[in-house]
Amino acid sequence: MLQFSTVDKRYPDGHEALKQVSFSLERGEMAFLTGHSGAGKSTLLKLIMLMERATRGQVIVGGQNLSAIHRRQIPYFRRHVGVVFQNHRLLFDRSVYDNVALPLEVAGSNPREIGKRVRAALDKVGLLSKEKLTPIQLSGGEQQRIGIARAVVNKPPLLLADEPTGNLDPALSQEIMKLFADFNRVGVTVLIASHDLELISQMPYRVIELNQGRIVDPGYSD
Amino acid sequence: MSSKRPASPVKKKVASGAQASGPSSALKGYFSNHLKVSKLSFKEQTDRPVATLLTCSVIGIALVLPTLLMILLSNIHAANFDWDGSAQITLFLEQKVTSKEAVELTRKLENRVDVSRIEFLDKDKALDDFKTQFQLESVVDFLDQNPLPHALLVTPSSTLKGVPAIEQLMQQLEALPEVESGLLDALWIQRLKSITSFLERVVVLIALMLALAVLLILGNTIRLAIENRKEEIAVLKLVGGTRPFVCRPFLYMGMLYGLGGSLIAVILTHIVLAILYAPIEALALSYQSNFNLKGLGFDSTLLLIVFGTALGWLGAWLAVRRHLDEIEPT
Repeated sequence: MLQFSTVDKRYPDGHEALKQVSFSLERGEMAFLTGHSGAGKSTLLKLIMLMERATRGQVIVGGQNLSAIHRRQIPYFRRHVGVVFQNHRLLFDRSVYDNVALPLEVAGSNPREIGKRVRAALDKVGLLSKEKLTPIQLSGGEQQRIGIARAVVNKPPLLLADEPTGNLDPALSQEIMKLFADFNRVGVTVLIASHDLELISQMPYRVIELNQGRIVDPGYSD
Repeated sequence: MSSKRPASPVKKKVASGAQASGPSSALKGYFSNHLKVSKLSFKEQTDRPVATLLTCSVIGIALVLPTLLMILLSNIHAANFDWDGSAQITLFLEQKVTSKEAVELTRKLENRVDVSRIEFLDKDKALDDFKTQFQLESVVDFLDQNPLPHALLVTPSSTLKGVPAIEQLMQQLEALPEVESGLLDALWIQRLKSITSFLERVVVLIALMLALAVLLILGNTIRLAIENRKEEIAVLKLVGGTRPFVCRPFLYMGMLYGLGGSLIAVILTHIVLAILYAPIEALALSYQSNFNLKGLGFDSTLLLIVFGTALGWLGAWLAVRRHLDEIEPT
């Protein structure tokens, strides 16, 4: 599903965020990506989302070599990757329903289809009753769950999360992680960047450790 | 809390995904998005009535000036058309031509298709008129012989359009043996024509400059709107919004500003014409002209609205082109 081969990422200011990164993730696998802040976790996720391009090496997602994807094709590629952000990046000027519907709207789905899928996604994260509220009326944990609903609403085969529990207390964090595990159980490949080692250690998943842009522990596979 | 299974199994291939539905449903989605976006843009603008009205008014005022000048031009053209028919050729006959010969010539010329009317001016009568009109009896009496020739006043047929055709007729008439020379009373028409074509250029230049101003105003308004919705744009790009999708709300916004502006321009034009109507009527009357002020017709109104809306779209498009690519999700 996901394959990095000797990937370097150097930013224009000279900072080398990733050095010789190689690892792969099987279809249906779930893994954590850990490391101190600045270790390159976010950069690695950005490469998968094509928010950044690798300086050297290859990133292959679902059999597609990302360096071969033209700028104009990026939107279509992104529709197959769900992303959850630490600050969830919800739009506060529209309802929960509209926020979750965004990925379907940009893909041009028809309104009936959108209604069905949005409610299914909200149901999965347990917030079906809040569809008419705006995100600001929700708690931090609920906002993050809306972010997750938005990431999975178009059923992407790959789900990425960047510090999804960064702002949440341990109990809520655990709930969120359980949600990711649920999606993984139905076949979604999940990669979560997190530095919450205590939480990660409680879960039976592979842990890939980054340090100063290098993989110091690839977890059990590779 | 959510151990429920998803509605259908997650697709395993990257190549397939969100668009599992057929082409007709995709088309439906496309149009429903257009409808939704246009409604949202409209709502957004009516939610801030003062700012929107101000922007529309600026555009409207910029559109009024060239519109009024166009109306002025089309009125001059219409008036010109009438005056073309009033151009007259005066033919002075040779001194040796007698009254009888002159009357004969008059009859002959009357049959020409390109002549609508012809009037014979007898030289003796002309001299009498000259005497009485200018009170020069003593001077005229002093002459032992009438120095004036017989003259014919020729009104060209209205089928002759434009000064060159009338000039051609005059040349043909001048070639007649009885005719000594001709005079075309059309210089002033030509002058008016040059003034009109000069005015046309002025109108085009002013219209171009004001259109540019409208583009700049709109560009700036749209740029601010883009600035205000940076986060939204970034999120749309992240969830797979294509460039046209992300641009769409701003293009609708520009079109609505243009539409509002041109509606204001239509209203302002009617107000200005209503104010000008009475003095123009009075002026026309003083020239004993049955000149009628032509206002903003249905066609021109439609044209103005389409043009204004298109201009709004173009302004938004330019702004979007320049500023939207700068916003990338980080």
